[in-house]
Formats: sequence, structure tokens, C-alpha cells
Amino acid sequence: TAVNIGYSCKMLTDDMTEVFVVTGHTVLEVREELRKAREKMMDASRSVGNGFSSKEKLSSSKLTSVLEAIAGEYALVINGHSLAHALEADMEVEFLETACACKAVICCRVTPLQKAQVVELVKKYKKGVTLAIGDGANDVNMIKTAHIGVGISGQEGIQAVLASDYSFSQFKFLQRLLLVHGRWSYLRMCKFLCYFFYKNFAFTMVHFWFGFFCGFSAQTVYDQYFITLYNIVYTSLPVLAMGVFDQDVPEQRSMEYPKLYEPGQLNLLFNKREFFICIAQGIYTSVLMFFIPYGVFADATRDDGAQLADYQSFAVTVATSLVIVVSVQIGLDTGFWTAINHFFIWGSLAAYFAILFTMHSDGLFRMFPNQFRFVGNAQNTLAQPTVWLTIALTTVVCIMPVVAFRFLKLDLKPELSDTVRYTQLVRKKQKTQHRCVRRTGRVGSRRSGYAFSHQEGFGELIMSGKNMRLSSLALSSFASRPSTSWIETLWKKKGSEGSGAGSPSGTADKTLKV
Amino acid sequence: MKNKTNFPSQEEEARPSRCPDNSAFKQQRLPAWKPQLNIVTVLSSFFLTGAFCLTVGVCLILSANSVREIQIDYSDKCSDCSKFRENSSNWNKECHCSVNFTLKEDILGDVFMYYGLQNFYQNHRRYMISRSDAQLLGRNVNIQRSYCAPFTTYKNGTPIAPCGAIANSMFNDTIDLFYNRNSSVVQVPLLKTGNSWWTDKNVKFRNPESYNLSSAFAGTARPPYWQKPVYLLDEGDERNTGYVNDDFIIWMRVSAFATFRNLYRRVRRIRHFADGLPAGNYTFRISYNFPVSKFKGRKHVILSTVVWSGGSNPFLGIAYVVSGTAATLAGFVITAIHLKLRKKKTYFQRQ
Repeated sequence: TAVNIGYSCKMLTDDMTEVFVVTGHTVLEVREELRKAREKMMDASRSVGNGFSSKEKLSSSKLTSVLEAIAGEYALVINGHSLAHALEADMEVEFLETACACKAVICCRVTPLQKAQVVELVKKYKKGVTLAIGDGANDVNMIKTAHIGVGISGQEGIQAVLASDYSFSQFKFLQRLLLVHGRWSYLRMCKFLCYFFYKNFAFTMVHFWFGFFCGFSAQTVYDQYFITLYNIVYTSLPVLAMGVFDQDVPEQRSMEYPKLYEPGQLNLLFNKREFFICIAQGIYTSVLMFFIPYGVFADATRDDGAQLADYQSFAVTVATSLVIVVSVQIGLDTGFWTAINHFFIWGSLAAYFAILFTMHSDGLFRMFPNQFRFVGNAQNTLAQPTVWLTIALTTVVCIMPVVAFRFLKLDLKPELSDTVRYTQLVRKKQKTQHRCVRRTGRVGSRRSGYAFSHQEGFGELIMSGKNMRLSSLALSSFASRPSTSWIETLWKKKGSEGSGAGSPSGTADKTLKV
Repeated sequence: MKNKTNFPSQEEEARPSRCPDNSAFKQQRLPAWKPQLNIVTVLSSFFLTGAFCLTVGVCLILSANSVREIQIDYSDKCSDCSKFRENSSNWNKECHCSVNFTLKEDILGDVFMYYGLQNFYQNHRRYMISRSDAQLLGRNVNIQRSYCAPFTTYKNGTPIAPCGAIANSMFNDTIDLFYNRNSSVVQVPLLKTGNSWWTDKNVKFRNPESYNLSSAFAGTARPPYWQKPVYLLDEGDERNTGYVNDDFIIWMRVSAFATFRNLYRRVRRIRHFADGLPAGNYTFRISYNFPVSKFKGRKHVILSTVVWSGGSNPFLGIAYVVSGTAATLAGFVITAIHLKLRKKKTYFQRQ
């Protein structure tokens, strides 16, 4: 039955070279069966001549190099008895290697404990992230063991839901969880982190530069209240809004182009290199933020001849330029400006000026003269054209290189997400012309899932013509094997299917550049 | 976290649905502006910024060049006075010094006289914190609780007014300017008030209230380095003595860096000096009190006019010109790179 269900949900296909079934009752039998499976796979690859190399860069697995270069697709079906033997300490690595060399693994009639053990095995030896999805109380163990546990709330009660990290009501939402929400979450997190390090380095390193000019006496450049409120009030909300609302690509496109998921798997958006770039940008900003006002204030007077080069004016100038520069930077980083983003960014700037003028006002000074020493500063300093020109210059010189680099990167080496965004833009312009092209696949969820204990052919017959998406089903095998190869196979299949099924009216050329 | 469904489940209408709301906010379908950097925006911003920066830079340089400034270092010229002051037992003896200079052309407009100090770190943390703003407001506060130590009280318990290291180290040279006119020497009339910020003079510094000033400061003593008590800082003008003395206020507004200048006097535009300073020979007569040789400091006296952008510091103008040039160059470079090396813009056709 397990094999039939495997065929019906397309984990096992007729295209597969072989499906290994492990049903041994003793340790020796199991070991023998696993060994035979491995030999068959290796033989096949040797006969082909090791010409086929799969891109297994993602999982830095302990697969032997031979097993990595297997040709053809294999599947493994193992039942509960055999699994109990296969999971013994001396055989588990073998089992894991064999299983990982296969495209799909079906474990049937397993106990909840064994489910958890399989997950644990994968976690232990493979450097990937595991996801376990289940709907019943027997899946709770597995859900808890995996890195990410997903529970289906539905027929079998909410046990799985209570133990899980994420839960939803239908299996197919796993696709959305990964491709849309998981991806967005990764993107948001990375942008958030980068920006946070940047703004704090820009803020703090100014003190390092000032140390050279104040006798290394640890005098702060800013007013103490600015230091307190900088991270809480002036710069916290915009980055939070970006971390909550940002979307690089709309959800439909995320589902359409699963390859967008790749940067998350490859750790592209926040790794050591990106971190050092953030830090470098922060330090560069701090250098300009300090030395440009230093150059100006080393010898400055007001336009009526009175003092301008005093410490408090310098502090206000540097603080204002800092807030403006980091606000412009978050404006550049935010790719998805909802009304809330607008409100937070402009509001933070407005709040900065409001609080600045309040704290430098006479009333507060009279109440607490030793606390609010900056009385009169905001109105005197910010009324000087020199100060505003200094702030403007600092902003320009800090931001322009960032814009230049980002634009050049976008132009010369666009990522897939940039291309998709551009597509979105182009499509919007051509909306009226392409209205007649209807996208298949969005009409309700009335899909039928049938499981027959026949050959696979019936399933195919019923599925074709319906809006059953290939990608959503194959994803169920995704948990044990995060890799690009299956995505590419998927992509090729979708492409071939699309062209095979014939296109409704529309464009003649089907350029599918990935 | 419940996953977001696009459609409410129809089977669960009997039970209350656990689906999250189908609102735009919760389903992340908020309308948004999705800006993208494209060639037109980027290039226009670079060229516009470049043009703006160049224009402003040129204006700033021109205005800085139009400032007339004479700066004289008198710690060298008055070396015997500085040696005299190195011996602290000479504290109550005066030492005078003369510095001559010549103006080849008239200086027209308002002329400001500054004293400048070099290598004097008013921005040191311990120094900056050593003051009591409440006391300077004229309030009767317990200055023991401030950071004025060790300049809080004398050994016999008399509080120091004003307390703290900043007040104690106040600049006390007296600089007068004389003009040699037709073989007679005329003292240039100088204004000693109106040099500080309005908020400083009227809000931040207030004298203690009493029927006369000396009784207001009764029970306090002058700081150790001062020669006169605070209420005698300017005996001629009631509104410029005590804590609200302009020189004192300006000194208390500590500078940001070790080399700084403070406004000392302004030329009063009357009689011969109605248009400014005429050309000719001038002499500074300085009563040298402030010792700087111990910390290798230097003292200057500066005469300068001002413009809308401040003084004669060309830094901002030069910085603007440099960044304007850089922005324009970057614009050209980006155009060149874009035209030569970009890939043909790919996008996905509808399937």
C-alpha cells in the first residue's frame, strides 16, 4: 500500500530507475538489502561513466563521492521492522547514506519513536535544516525533534499543532510556508540584521574618532539623552517595519519561481562577507560623520560672529546628521513601502526633531538644570546655514556610494529576485495586452487526490488537465533532502509540461530564462 | 503561527473558524510602493547632486575668500611675559606686552576680535563635567553634590562661586587695540557685550537675587585662579557682571576641539571706525595673565569679518566641490558601465 500511495502522490514515478524495498527481519538481512541497493546505484553510475554529477553543494553531507555521482533516480521503501534494525548505532550511517542517495524514501508502518529517530539521524549527520510535518499525535515526537516542526490541524485533533512551530490546515500550504513566508522571513531577517549592525557601528565609531581629539578621555560626542533614545526611539521603528512588512517579490511570483528559494539555502543574504560589508559601511559612515563636521567646526563662527564651534553645537550637528543618514539608509533598504513604513520613517525623523527641540527648551532646563544642559542649542545651531550644509554634505557623501554600488550590482549581476521584480514592473505596463492569458492553477482548491492501489497510470489520467501543481506534491519529499537538483528537475518538468500541454492564446515565444 | 490561507474553509462554519482574518494587513496584501533603482533615477540623482554640490561649493569658497582675517600668535612675541607667568609667585603682578601689525587695506564691515587657544583641551570629559549649572542659574544649591571637585570649597568651607574647573581656568588676558593715526594713538572702541548667545545670557546664566550683587554672592569666594570675585568681573555694567558676564559665558560654552577661538570683543563702529578698520598701523596691548607654556599651548589674537557662511574656513567649500566632482564623475562612470557592460534586461514572459 505504501508503494501505491507513493506512486499516487508522485513521490515514486515510473521514470525512476529502481525502487528498493527493504523488508528484512533481522539485522543481517537489512544490512544485506541496503548493501545491495548501494551496489546497484554505484554500478549504474560506473556504467554511465560517472558523467553525471549532481549539484550536491547544498548539503555538505558525508556521502562518499561515488554515491554523490549516482546516475538515475532511486527510491527506498523501508518498513518499521527493518527500520528498527537500520537505526542501530552501527548501521545508521550506512542507512543514512543509502537513503540520501535516493530521491525519495518512504518509511511505512513506523512507530512515533522511529519517526523521531529518523529525523534525529538526518539532523546529526547532515548539515542541513530538517522540517517535519505531520497531523497526528503520533507525529508529535518527530515534529519536536526536527528543526522546524509543522503541524496539520484537522482531522486528527490538535496534538500536532500544539507541539509544532508552525501549523496550518492543509498539507499543500507547506509550499506557501516555504516558498513565500519562509523566504520572506529570511530576507527580512537578513536585511534587519545588516541594517542594525550598520547603524550601531555608524553611531558608536564616531566616539572612537573623537577619542583622538579629546585626549582619549572617553568624552561622548552626543548628548546623553540622544544616546539613550537613539536605538529606542529614533531608529527602531523603521527597521521594525521593514522587518515585518518587507517583500522583495509578491507572493504569486514567489510560488511561481521556486528558484527564488535558493539564496536561503545557500546562506547568501547574511554570511561573513555580508556582515563585514555592513560593518565596513558603518565604519565608513562614522568616518565621514565625524571628520566632515570636524573640518567645518575646527574653525567656524556663526553668521553674526558669535560662537559656533562649541562642543554642544558639534554634538547637535553630528547627532542630526547621524539620524538623517541612517534614516535615508533605511529608506534605501526598504523595498516595500507600506503606509506603516512611511509613517514610521517620517515619524521617526519628526520625533527626533520634536524631542530635540523639547530637550533644548527653556522649560525643561529650568526644572532640571543639571540634566538638560543643552538649553538653547537646537534653536541656535540649527538656524545656521553652515550647519545644514554640513549635514547635507555628510548625507550626500555617505549615501551616494551605496546607491552607486547597489545600482551597479542590480545592473550587472541581477539576482533572480531582481529580475522577477523587473518582470513585475514590465507586466504591469503590459497588463491590458496580456489580460486574455489566463494563468492556470488559481481556480479554487478543488483538487482531487486519489490513491488507487493500481499502477500509476490512473493517477496520471485523473490528474492531467486538473490544476494539480506538480511542485506542491513533490515538496512532501523535500523534508529529507534539501537540494537544488530536485528543484531543477521540477522546473524542467514544469517547463516541458507547459510547452507540452500547449499554450492558450498569447505570446508566441516562450522564453523562460532562469 | 498560523499560516495564512487565501480562502476560508467552508467546512468549518459550524465551529468558529480558526482562520486568521482575511484583511489586507494580516494577509500581507497591503498596498505598497515598490521602488526600484533604475538608470534614469540614479543618473539624474547623481548629476543633480553633482551640480548642486559644485554650485554650493563654489559659493562657499568665494564667500570664505571674501573674509578678511588677521591672526597673530602672541605667545611667542610675549615670551618674556610667558616666562614670567611660569613662576606662580608672580600671580599678582601684571605683565604687559605689545604686538604690532599693519593693515594694508581698510577692512570694511563689522570686525570681530577673537582670542584663540591651541592645545587646550576644553573637550576633556573630566573638565567638561566640572561645573554646576544650577549654581550658575543663581540658585542656592549644594555644590558638594555636583561634579565640581576639587574646585568646590576652600579648606575653611567657603564655597567657590562659580565652582568647577571650567570656571576656574577662565581666560583672563586683557587685549586692547590701538590705532596709530596721524602720530597719535587712538584706542579702538570695542564692545564687550552682545557677544554671547541670547539663550545663554538670559536663560542659562542668572545671577542670584538680592538687593545688590555683592550681597548676593556673600559667603562665597572667588575660584583659586581668579584675581577678582565674580561680581566684580565688569564693574561698569550691572548687566554684564556676576554670572552673566559675556566673557564668562563664552568661556563656559566649552569648545569642541583643542584649537579654538572665542569671540572677545567687537569693533564699535563710531567715529573713525564707522566703516570698519581703516588701513594703517595697529598695536595690541595685552595684559598677559593666562599661562599656556606648561602644556605647550599657544595663544592668538584674531581680527576677522564674517559672512553668511561663518568665517574664513574654506573646508566646507572645498569638500562640496570635491564631492560634486566625484558625484558627476560617478555619474559618467555609471553611464559608461551601463551602456557597455549591462546584460540585456531579461524578464519572464507569461506562460
